[in-house]
Amino acid sequence: MAAETATRRRGEDLEPSAAKRLSAWLRGYRPIQGIPDELFDATGRPRGDWLSFLGDFAEYPEGEFKSRFEVATRHIRDTGVSYRVYGEETEQSWPLNPLPLILGQSEWLQIARGVEQRANLMEALLRDIYGDASLVEEGHLPAAALTGSIDFLPQLRGVQPPGGRYLQLYAADLGRGPDGRWWVLDDRTQAPSGAGYALENRLVLSRAYPNLYNGMNVERLAPFFDGFRKGLASAADRTDPRICLLTPGPFSDTYFEQAHLARYLGFLLVEGDDLVAHDGKVYVRTIAGLKRADVILRRVDADFTDPLELNSSSRLGTPGLLEAIRAGGVAMLNMPGSGVVESKALLGFLPKLCRRLLGEDLIMPNIATWWCGQPLERDVVERHLDNLAIAPAFNAPGEDGALSGPRLMADLSPQEKADLRRRLTDRPGDFVGQEVVRLSTMPVLRDGRLEPAPFVLRVYAAWTPDGMKIMPGGFCRTSERLDVRAISMGGDARTADVWVIDDKPVERVSLLASQEDVKVRRIMGHLPSRAADNLFWLGRYIERAEATLRLARSLCTSLMDSESAAHASGETLTSLQQLLIDWGALDEEHVGAGALESARDTLHDQAAYGSVIYLVRGARRTAASMRERLSADFWTLLVNLETELTEGAQSPLSEAEVLQQVESALQILAALAGLAQENMNRVAGWRFLDMGRRIERGINTCRITRTFAHDAATPDDLDLLLDLADSQITYRARYLVGLALTPVRDMVMLDPFNTRSLAFQVQTLKDHLAVLPSLLADGMLEEPSKILLPLATDVETADAQNLTPDKMQTFERTLLKLSGAIADRYFLQGAHAVPTVKLGGLA
Amino acid sequence: MIYAVRHRTTYSYEEPVSFARCVLRLTPRTSATQTVLANTVKVTPRPTDTRDRTGPFGEKTRTVVIDTPHTSLVIEATSQVDVHAPAPPDPKASLPWEAVRAESFQSRDLGPDGAAAYLYPTRRTPAASPITEYARQSLVAGRPIVEAAAELMTRIREDFTYDPEATSVSTPALDAFTARHGVCQDFAHVMISGLKGLGLPAAYVSGYLRTIPPPGKPRLEGADATHAWVSLWCGRNQGWIGFDPTNAIVVQNDHIVLAVGRDYSDVAPIDGIILAPGAQTLKVEVDVIPQETANAPAGHRPVTSSSA
Repeated sequence: MAAETATRRRGEDLEPSAAKRLSAWLRGYRPIQGIPDELFDATGRPRGDWLSFLGDFAEYPEGEFKSRFEVATRHIRDTGVSYRVYGEETEQSWPLNPLPLILGQSEWLQIARGVEQRANLMEALLRDIYGDASLVEEGHLPAAALTGSIDFLPQLRGVQPPGGRYLQLYAADLGRGPDGRWWVLDDRTQAPSGAGYALENRLVLSRAYPNLYNGMNVERLAPFFDGFRKGLASAADRTDPRICLLTPGPFSDTYFEQAHLARYLGFLLVEGDDLVAHDGKVYVRTIAGLKRADVILRRVDADFTDPLELNSSSRLGTPGLLEAIRAGGVAMLNMPGSGVVESKALLGFLPKLCRRLLGEDLIMPNIATWWCGQPLERDVVERHLDNLAIAPAFNAPGEDGALSGPRLMADLSPQEKADLRRRLTDRPGDFVGQEVVRLSTMPVLRDGRLEPAPFVLRVYAAWTPDGMKIMPGGFCRTSERLDVRAISMGGDARTADVWVIDDKPVERVSLLASQEDVKVRRIMGHLPSRAADNLFWLGRYIERAEATLRLARSLCTSLMDSESAAHASGETLTSLQQLLIDWGALDEEHVGAGALESARDTLHDQAAYGSVIYLVRGARRTAASMRERLSADFWTLLVNLETELTEGAQSPLSEAEVLQQVESALQILAALAGLAQENMNRVAGWRFLDMGRRIERGINTCRITRTFAHDAATPDDLDLLLDLADSQITYRARYLVGLALTPVRDMVMLDPFNTRSLAFQVQTLKDHLAVLPSLLADGMLEEPSKILLPLATDVETADAQNLTPDKMQTFERTLLKLSGAIADRYFLQGAHAVPTVKLGGLA
Repeated sequence: MIYAVRHRTTYSYEEPVSFARCVLRLTPRTSATQTVLANTVKVTPRPTDTRDRTGPFGEKTRTVVIDTPHTSLVIEATSQVDVHAPAPPDPKASLPWEAVRAESFQSRDLGPDGAAAYLYPTRRTPAASPITEYARQSLVAGRPIVEAAAELMTRIREDFTYDPEATSVSTPALDAFTARHGVCQDFAHVMISGLKGLGLPAAYVSGYLRTIPPPGKPRLEGADATHAWVSLWCGRNQGWIGFDPTNAIVVQNDHIVLAVGRDYSDVAPIDGIILAPGAQTLKVEVDVIPQETANAPAGHRPVTSSSA
């Protein structure tokens, strides 16, 4: 027996301490009576692949695997898919199990065959439903078993799906039935989620236990995703198509997973607003105008995709999308309407339909299900009501008293039972009765012990140009509670990676494309307007945070350093506080307050819209909505900055501690600036980030110069200004005479070599605008250039002698106007983006 | 009966509208009970793109795109329709309503004429238990479906106040039901909700109703209106029968069908999205003129929606 061989081998190979640990795990493991388990087979012996995994795993000294797992988890979670701030994003939390689910090859082949057949069945079923509906006409499937689903879209009957198929990705939720066979609990055809989590989980485990992972012939996930991408591309009607992932946006449950997938697969992440349907095609709004979207990977429920033809209250869709699909101008996958075959009402029909449509028996059974829309089935359900689970037959719009999910009759109060019986009589078609299924269990580690936990395994099938492929692995969820009824799979779930063990060494698949397939190019790529907008604001937030931190630093040093420009009291300090009040970092009451208190509030006052914490949160939120465009390092630094500031606010701080926080925050910002400068590709995205930064810095420079280099400025004022503008050393090297108004103004505002001067920002902005695409075909200047070019001339020809505060204020206003013009020209929220409204009234 | 119908809708905008995409459902449906003899739909300003097709419930739709700036949008439909309903159904001769329910769940028709498409609740016609219980009083065990539905229709007419000020185009059925008032759209939604609550296939019909001016008064130009009522599937033999809860009449030759759907959203005569910087006002003028005057019921002035 394989298991025995494995045990023997283990016994010989293992270190004594590891052997001891392994045997303690195995002896302490108690599967639940009558419930199939993954570690122990039906005869009560450990399965071979599990045993060899656990044996290797036992060789990590106690503690070591823990720290390995924790380090890998933290790293991935900080940078990866599931980063979340509690209370802000609604992302569901899925902590990861340290142990994967191990599936041997023969087991896997059985699963893969069953899932592949089912995916084919669903595709054939959709083809019939939206085609000539022969199954309904010939009486194999009642029409009412379809029409109850919100995803049955009569609008798309008779429409050929562009790209030739309904499903690009199919998923099945599986569990092991009482007889040890795998059963299907649910089908996912609308827009299956979780594949991104599966990728993330794999990344954590392969980093935590590289030796184990590489030693065990674990099948790789990358080839599956490569095929998935090629499959999507093949749905387009031209080579080199633009593929977009349509997301409901940052408020979606699985937004980060979507962003992660878009980045991993190289797709544009778009929201409904980013798309325009026009002349039977779909376009993305980019900074270079409208660019065609050939293929859309849909993560928005079908009902919300087109407010013109479907749910008219939807703000997530694009009007005219269905018309474009009908015209064949865009392939949307999975095709809207695919969700109809998720209905539980269909489960009972599938064995018959499989024979009819595919000419074969259903390989993998689903839970016994009776749709009450049929008289005989309803009788069965009514007779056995107390031993069944009752579930909604369809995914339907929420309604009065509807079931939100499966309920066990046994769990209902007498009143609820009576209500349910009445509704079962009134509207039988709304319900199915289902056999109560108990989930099988797999081992998880809890406090160093091995314990069984109920689990559900989601397996994915994708269409690729080489036929259908099954992801060798999946998204596994385990329940913390031992109650193994399938329907109790509640909120306290964890996830597990899924390792499919090959008998042979796995091939090191290279994802390198063959030489002939790749055409070299160096174009900028078309940046979606929304992303340009976010990057621009990210730049402005970060720069304003930095300027504010510099002001706070001066507040601190005024208390600590007798030579400081701003003394602990006096006019310069008052000007400093006034500027912070004007910037919204402090509230009005701070006039005359102590420097330390002002510095603390400048950092931490969460209610002040100009405080450092507020600005950093703004930056992090903006960055969060375009995670797919930022490097992991960039994101990690930003998150660290926010964490440091949040934690720093906990205790009352001395001036030295505040200063230390300010310095540390400035260092992180310097690192962010360095990353942007050195590690970001100089495509349009980088330019918008930098333009935001430059405009903000130009505005801030004008402002601080007006404040501290006014006509009656004291030497203290000028000294502080040089601090804020980071120009002390240069000034002292250049002017041995000491502080004087005109040279200070020249250095801070007009010196084109000073990276903090207005002149430098204006010159950089000119460079950026010159490279960005123009929309005007007539060769005329666009509005941003019309504003910037005269400003540049003014600044270049200005003379520090005549540079009055009024003049500086004019420059400042011009930069604000430029910011508005850039928004109008390149972003969705510009003045041209007039709100769309419904034509109203009872016409 | 042959009718000439003119249906003119005018949107006036405070600020110029630069873009509009509209779905028009202004071509009456041809069916066993009515024949469309002529139909034209004129849109001003002239659309840059026009597409005609048949919608999911058999309705004729025209999608127009206008991308020239405009401050008013005028859509005028003129139709000539021959309505030729068979003799009124015998209320006693119909199936018990429970049999109709069982039959509709077994329907083999997935299309717009089958019962299955109209069996399930929608956003505007939810299966809400207060409305279901109200309907149950008429749908007592074993009662023939036409008789039961006619009684339900009559009760709505008696229990509800016609009040165009009380509701708007987006009022949920349950609100209109609770307040016992509304217009034809609300009454239709309430009746459909009640029937669906008991598992019966009921559809929403939009169209026009011939109005008879009070004795001695001339018909007022443009004073007619669009109307809405209910169509209930009464089993394979009797098929679809129209019930007008606003006027408590079983639909015969005075009703002209524009479109049939699950609720108002499926059949709205004009649906669309515009880029609108300012406010909009709407004016609707309808004339329904009988071309033959035979069989006019005298002294009866039915009520229709007055939405303008």
